[in-house]
Amino acid sequence: MADVHQDSGGAGTDIDLSQFYQIFFEEAGENLDQMEQMLLNLNLETADDEELNGIFRCAHSIKGGAATFGFSDVAELTHKMESLLDKLRRHELKPTSVMVDVLLESADAARALLACHQSGTVGQGPATADLVQRIQAIVAGDAAAAAPPPAPVASPVVAVAPVALTPSAAPASAEASGVRHLILRLSKLDHAAQADAVAELFRDIPGLGDIKPVLAPDIAANERVYDVQTSSSNEDLLDLFAFHVAREQVSIQEAEPVATLPPEPPSAESVKVETSVSHPTPAAEGYGFFDGAPGAPKPGDSAAKVAVAAPAAEAPKAMHSVKAPSAGALQPEAATIRVAISKVDQLINLVGELVITQAMLAQNSRSLDPTVYQQLLTGLSDLDRNTRDLQESVMSIRMIPMSIVFSRFPRMLRDLAGKLGKKVDFVTQGEATELDKGLVEKITDPLTHLVRNSCDHGIEMPQDRVRAGKPETGTITLSAAHQGGSIVIEVRDDGKGMSRSKILAKARERGMEVSDSMPDAEVWQLIFAPGFSTAEVVTDVSGRGVGMDVVKRNITALNGTVEIESAEGYGMRVSVRLPLTLAIMDGMSVGVGNEVYILPLSSVVESFQVRSEAVSTLGQDSRVVKVRDEYMPVIELEKVFQVPRFNTDKTSDMMVVIEADGSRVVLLVDELLGQQQVVVKNLESNYRKVPNVSGATILGDGKVALILDTAALVRRSRH
Amino acid sequence: MNDTVITEKPVEAADQRAREYLTFRLDQEEYGIDILKVQEIRGYEPPTRIANAPDFIKGVINLRGTIVPIVDMRLKFNCSKSNYDAFTVVIVLNLQHRIVGIVVDSVSDVMSLKPDQIRAAPDIDSVIDPESILGLGALDDRMLILLDIEKLMTSSDMGLVAVA
Repeated sequence: MADVHQDSGGAGTDIDLSQFYQIFFEEAGENLDQMEQMLLNLNLETADDEELNGIFRCAHSIKGGAATFGFSDVAELTHKMESLLDKLRRHELKPTSVMVDVLLESADAARALLACHQSGTVGQGPATADLVQRIQAIVAGDAAAAAPPPAPVASPVVAVAPVALTPSAAPASAEASGVRHLILRLSKLDHAAQADAVAELFRDIPGLGDIKPVLAPDIAANERVYDVQTSSSNEDLLDLFAFHVAREQVSIQEAEPVATLPPEPPSAESVKVETSVSHPTPAAEGYGFFDGAPGAPKPGDSAAKVAVAAPAAEAPKAMHSVKAPSAGALQPEAATIRVAISKVDQLINLVGELVITQAMLAQNSRSLDPTVYQQLLTGLSDLDRNTRDLQESVMSIRMIPMSIVFSRFPRMLRDLAGKLGKKVDFVTQGEATELDKGLVEKITDPLTHLVRNSCDHGIEMPQDRVRAGKPETGTITLSAAHQGGSIVIEVRDDGKGMSRSKILAKARERGMEVSDSMPDAEVWQLIFAPGFSTAEVVTDVSGRGVGMDVVKRNITALNGTVEIESAEGYGMRVSVRLPLTLAIMDGMSVGVGNEVYILPLSSVVESFQVRSEAVSTLGQDSRVVKVRDEYMPVIELEKVFQVPRFNTDKTSDMMVVIEADGSRVVLLVDELLGQQQVVVKNLESNYRKVPNVSGATILGDGKVALILDTAALVRRSRH
Repeated sequence: MNDTVITEKPVEAADQRAREYLTFRLDQEEYGIDILKVQEIRGYEPPTRIANAPDFIKGVINLRGTIVPIVDMRLKFNCSKSNYDAFTVVIVLNLQHRIVGIVVDSVSDVMSLKPDQIRAAPDIDSVIDPESILGLGALDDRMLILLDIEKLMTSSDMGLVAVA
């Protein structure tokens, strides 16, 4: 069985987890906002399916996320909301304003709970059991539920409320941390199974505590008493029990030091957790947790809402009412904002302009006398630094960490290794390395392919590894690091590596031109040829030979390069080098006549001064040049771009070998002007596609230079 | 009495509201374009030539980071001369989906023209597609050729837009 684990080099697992939390909190917040909006706009009489479906989807996504991240309270609440909404959208129930109220309150409660989870103050969220019950009642079509929200549950509370007043000291310790010893009494049970279900909760939920039935002669037939040891608060327990028994059937009290059960009827000394929050005013208003509570507002009512009324000063801290968080006390500030990509791109554009202007100023100020213009020059150097910082910050907006890509591999490798019967350790390094968002999306597929290849072709079967004196478990390492203006992503494995002789034999078989004296690097590049595979068995994983050429093509399209190193028997390494962003490219500027063109540096192989005898004509006007042992077609930029010649003495005599789509051609230019990073601009946004040109850029002097489409030039030479 | 004025006025205004046109000169002719389509006016600077483009597309310039194509209207409309001097001006147009610069001999004025000052253009054969002429503005003894610049610049023979 595969043993795949993620051994992160940089960030720890905790950080990763919290990253996902953050995303969930943001999305849940957005969903809640959206749901609230839709609920408020909902027209009860004419609610159409689209609206109801929309609300349902919101609740559903929050539920899904909350359940995934283990926020069971949120998941439970939204689950109930979802069931209500489901009935609504299937027209089993007609939407009423009561439902909307309950749903809105639930949304508030969910928001408050999320805020608690986000701030890490778990357990201090609002009580949701009551909302859950109300929703349930509505779902069940309870006629009473149609009354103003708190009414249905208010009545049972009234019945027991006065009881709570006597032992008000008891709940004070409820919040005390550590294990508490409680007597749990379930009374007026309809059948014994309910009690058993409650007892099972303790077994099913790890960490909840221990439960032991207490057998005493005074327990009525429809009662069960348990001796409970738990660290959960009364409120939490009641929430849990709410699935099985009604709240008023449960009583929890601190166990006496004496283990015997108090002989009094349970109601006499039991502590109703909910009501203990309220205070010695009539219970009906003590339940005024929510807006629209029945009964005229009395002085004590508002105090009850914040749950810290003086008489109940010892009331458990856990008893924050729903009101408190929604009042804004716990509202955490949003840590991120979502912005349209176009706005960011505009920002990047403007900063690019600023940098050019700044460079121009710097250029022009160089001749100034430093003693006379000291202040101006100081200002300019400040401007220089600030623009650089600004550019860096703005560029970083589009950057996202590689972990987004890396995180999908552990699972994939685990499944793959399992299928192949191999043992693989997966190690990632440098997943905090940041890369342009557009690139991240495009690099995922090629990387997936490389990792699959490593697992399928690279790593041997466990017994083969042992025979070769290697540990049974192979290791695939995925790493990312910045190197200069580019990012290098490596896929390494300690598998069998590639066999030079096998590749050469295969290449010959396919009629490719190879020689035994080829350098290793060139041999490895052969595997990028379309349809090339040395796998002995074609599996459903890989080996059909489609892939490596696609990988190479995709990476080249991103102005990147792929390099392979391999040692037979020891493994191989594939390095993918990419520019940090698609917006910036390493370019080589070449001059033809009075014009400047930019070649993507990634496709430039070499350049040299041409010797006239090296160029020969082929056919009418096609020219080829002999570079070492190879004849390559010559493309004269002057002709392709119809460059006007003012100075007829000068001719193109520099040759640049470019490679694209696996073939090489030679470009004939006047001169090489230098290498520089250029900002790639789209020519098509205001104009149209120009043949043989992939885009444009702005040079240091503010002029526009066209970027050559090397792939198109190479294609052009073929016909 | 008052009522009739109030109810009548907007109708009349909508009909008779004068529109503003930026007028420019190409050789001896005067043209007008909707001022709302004009983004800015700037001096001519040599653009970067684009190979294999029609001769009236002079190339592209860098307009504060945006690559903008430059069309010489004088070449497009077969004017007798098209020299570039200190008075040669580029009108940068902000059309619906693109920014385009047009080269003209000079910019003269912003004119307000009421609909009753605009005459239909006679049906004659000219280099300008009659579809893109809004009409002829009569101003005393001057004649303004009012262009639907949006239609003109996006027409296929302009070659600015990729043919779908």
